[in-house]
Amino acid sequence: MATIDDTDEPDGPLNRWVQRAIEDPERVYRALFYTAMIFFMVTTLFPFYWLLVLAVTPNSEIIGGGFIPEIELFGATVPFPLPVPQGFNPGAFVDVFREIPFHLYMLNSFALAVTTTIIVLVVASLAGYVFGRLEFPGRAVLMLAILAISYFPPAAFVVPLYDIFAGNAVNIPFTDVALFQSIELLNTPGSMVLPFSALFMPLSIFILTTFYGQIPDGLEDAARVEGTTRLGALFRVIMPLSAPGVATAAVLTFISVYNEYFFSSIMATSPQAGNWSPLVGGILSYQTQYTTSFNLMAAASVVGVLPMLILVVVAQERIVSGLTSGALKE
Amino acid sequence: MASLKLEHVTKRYEDVTAVDDMNLDIEDGEFVCLVGPSGCGKSTTMETIAGLTIPTEGKVFIGDRDVTNLPPKDRGIAMVFQNIALFPHMDVYDNISFGLRLRDFPKEEIDRRVERAADIVQLEGMLERMPDEMSGGQRQRVAIARAIVREPDVFLMDEPLANLDAKLRVHMRTELQRLHKELDTTIIYVTHDQAEAMTMSDRIAVLDTGELQQIDPPLVCYNEPTNLFVAGFIGSPSMNFVNGSVGADAIETPNFSIEFDPARVDGVAPGDDVTVGVRPEDVYPVPEADDVSHPTAAIQARSDVLEPMGDEIFAYLLLGDGETSMSQEAATDDQLLMSIEPDSDLQEDETVSVVLDRRKIHLFDDTTGDAIAHGIVDVTGDGSAGTRAESDD
Repeated sequence: MATIDDTDEPDGPLNRWVQRAIEDPERVYRALFYTAMIFFMVTTLFPFYWLLVLAVTPNSEIIGGGFIPEIELFGATVPFPLPVPQGFNPGAFVDVFREIPFHLYMLNSFALAVTTTIIVLVVASLAGYVFGRLEFPGRAVLMLAILAISYFPPAAFVVPLYDIFAGNAVNIPFTDVALFQSIELLNTPGSMVLPFSALFMPLSIFILTTFYGQIPDGLEDAARVEGTTRLGALFRVIMPLSAPGVATAAVLTFISVYNEYFFSSIMATSPQAGNWSPLVGGILSYQTQYTTSFNLMAAASVVGVLPMLILVVVAQERIVSGLTSGALKE
Repeated sequence: MASLKLEHVTKRYEDVTAVDDMNLDIEDGEFVCLVGPSGCGKSTTMETIAGLTIPTEGKVFIGDRDVTNLPPKDRGIAMVFQNIALFPHMDVYDNISFGLRLRDFPKEEIDRRVERAADIVQLEGMLERMPDEMSGGQRQRVAIARAIVREPDVFLMDEPLANLDAKLRVHMRTELQRLHKELDTTIIYVTHDQAEAMTMSDRIAVLDTGELQQIDPPLVCYNEPTNLFVAGFIGSPSMNFVNGSVGADAIETPNFSIEFDPARVDGVAPGDDVTVGVRPEDVYPVPEADDVSHPTAAIQARSDVLEPMGDEIFAYLLLGDGETSMSQEAATDDQLLMSIEPDSDLQEDETVSVVLDRRKIHLFDDTTGDAIAHGIVDVTGDGSAGTRAESDD
C-alpha cells in the first residue's frame, strides 16, 4: 500500500472505490450523505408523487388499481418500481374548483392561519419577553404550567368549548349559578381562532422565550435610554434581532392552523365555505353519501399544499437557522 | 446641559446593598469619574442615574427636575455602554439617528445632527456600514455619536473603553477629553481603571462597597486620600502600607522607626496604632536622598525583584530578616516598593539603604482606616503638620 501507482490499481470498480475511499475518507462521508439524502427525499416526496398520480387518473380507473405495470426487462417480466397514472385527466385540477368553491375553503384556512399567527406572535412575544428577560418568583413553575397545556389532548377542550361557543349560559360547575352568558361563535372565525391561538401558543412562547432571553441586556438598555419604552424596545430591537425565532414560531403556527381539521370540523357545524370550514373540510366534501371522488381529493390536496410549499421555500433559511440556533445556544 | 444631584440614594437587592446612601453633587459641565473595584456599586449608581434601575431610597435630580421615577427616555440623558450596544440590525446612520427618529424629529434636522456627530467622532463616509463590518474603535465612536446627536443634558459613560485594546484606549481617552471640551456637557464616566479616572476627570468619585469614599479633583485624591481604601486604590503601583504604633517621639514599625512628634498632629497620641502609607516615588535610596528635606533615618533593606518600566524602575525591597513574602496584601510589613531613576545601577539581591520623605508620609487610623494626616512634619511653620485630613462624615 506504499505507493499510488497506476499499475498497482486493484481490479474491479468496487475495489478501486474502496481503495480511493481509504486514501480520501471525505468520499465516504459524501457517499453516506447522499444515501441519507436520497432516503429522506424518497420518503417525503413519494406521497406527493402518489397524489399527483391519483389526481390525473380518472376516478373510474382508480378503484380498478393496476398502478404498477409489468414491464419486459432483458426477457423477464418485472413490476415497474413506481406507480404510473391510469390514463391522463388533468381536468381534475379544474373540476376541483367547479364541484365546490374550493378556493373559498383555501381562503378560510389562510385567513384563520394568518389571524391566529398574528395573535400568537403578539401575545407570545409579550410572554417570551417576560419569561426570557425578567426575573420573578415562580417563573419556572409558570413556564412549566404553560408548557403543560400543550400536552393536553385537544379533544379534552372540544366539548366545553362547543358548549360555550354555542351561546349557552356557563354555570359554575355543579351549581346553577350563572358565570356568564357567552355569545354564539359557532360557524364564525372566532370559534376557531380562539382555541387555535390557545393551543399553539405554548410552543411559540417557548421558542420566543429562548430567543428573547439571548438578546444582551445592553441592547435593551440602550434602546430604553435612546427613547423607547420596554415595549418599544421589544418590538423595535429584541424582535427584529430574534427574526429567525419569530419566523420559526410564525411558520410552525401558520402550518399547524392551515392543516387543522379536528376543531374546525366541529366548530363549523357543516363543511360549507360559508361556515368557515377550512381546507381539509373542503377536501372531504368531495366525498358524498354515494360517491367518492378520489381523484378530486388528491388534486385538491396538491392544490392545497402549494401555498405551504411556497411559504416554506421562501422562509426555509430562517426556519432552519431558527430551529438549530435555538437548540444550540441553550 | 445640567447639573446632577443624588440625594441619599440607596439601592438594595434582596440580600445585598449595592449602593448605600450615596450623595453626589455634580455641577453643570463637569467631567466626573466614578471609580472603584468590581462590585463597588459604580455601575448600579450609573443605572440609577440613567433610570434603568429605580433606587430603593433617595432621589435623583437632573437640573432642577426630580427624575427619580421617570423612565430613561424622559430624563434627558444619553449613555455609552461598556459592551457598546449598537443595534446589530441597523446601519450606522440608523443607529445614530435611532433616538431622534423615535422622537419624530424632521428628516433635515436628523441629517444635520447625524452629520455633525459623525464629523465630531470622525465617521464620515461610514454611515452606510453595518456594525459588524467595523472595528472596535469605530463601533465605539458610533456609540458616542449616537449619544451626541441627542444633545443630552448629561452624558453617561459606563466603561466605554474597557473592551478596546491598550493603544486605542489611550487614543480614545484623548478624544473623549477633546469631546468634553467641545460639547461642554456634564459627563459621568464609570471606570475601574484609576489611570483613566486620573487623566480625564475634573473630579473623581471613589466608591467602595456601595459607599462614596471621596469625591475630589484627581490630585487631591492622590495626595490627600481620605482613607486607606482611596490611598490604596488611586495610584499605580499602589501605596506602601506598614503597620506602626505611635511612640513618644517616633512611629515604630516592625522594621524601622520614623521620627515623629505626636503633639504636632491632631488625632494621634502615643500608644495609638496607625497604618503608615508612603507612595513608591517617596522612597529614596540613600545616595539620592540629598534633595529630600525631611528624610527619615536610613532603613536597611534588600532588593528583591526589579521591574524596569523604561522611565523608572520599580524595586521591591525586603525589610527585616528579608524572607520573601508571597502575600498579595497591601499591608505587608516586610515589603516596600520603591520607584527609582531608570539609570540606577541597583541590582537584585543587593543590600540598600533607603529613606522616606516625611512630608509625604500618610497616617491612617488603624481601626477606621480614615486618614489622620498627610505629611508628618511641620513644613508651613504654623504649628500643624502637613495637611490635616478632613473627616469624611
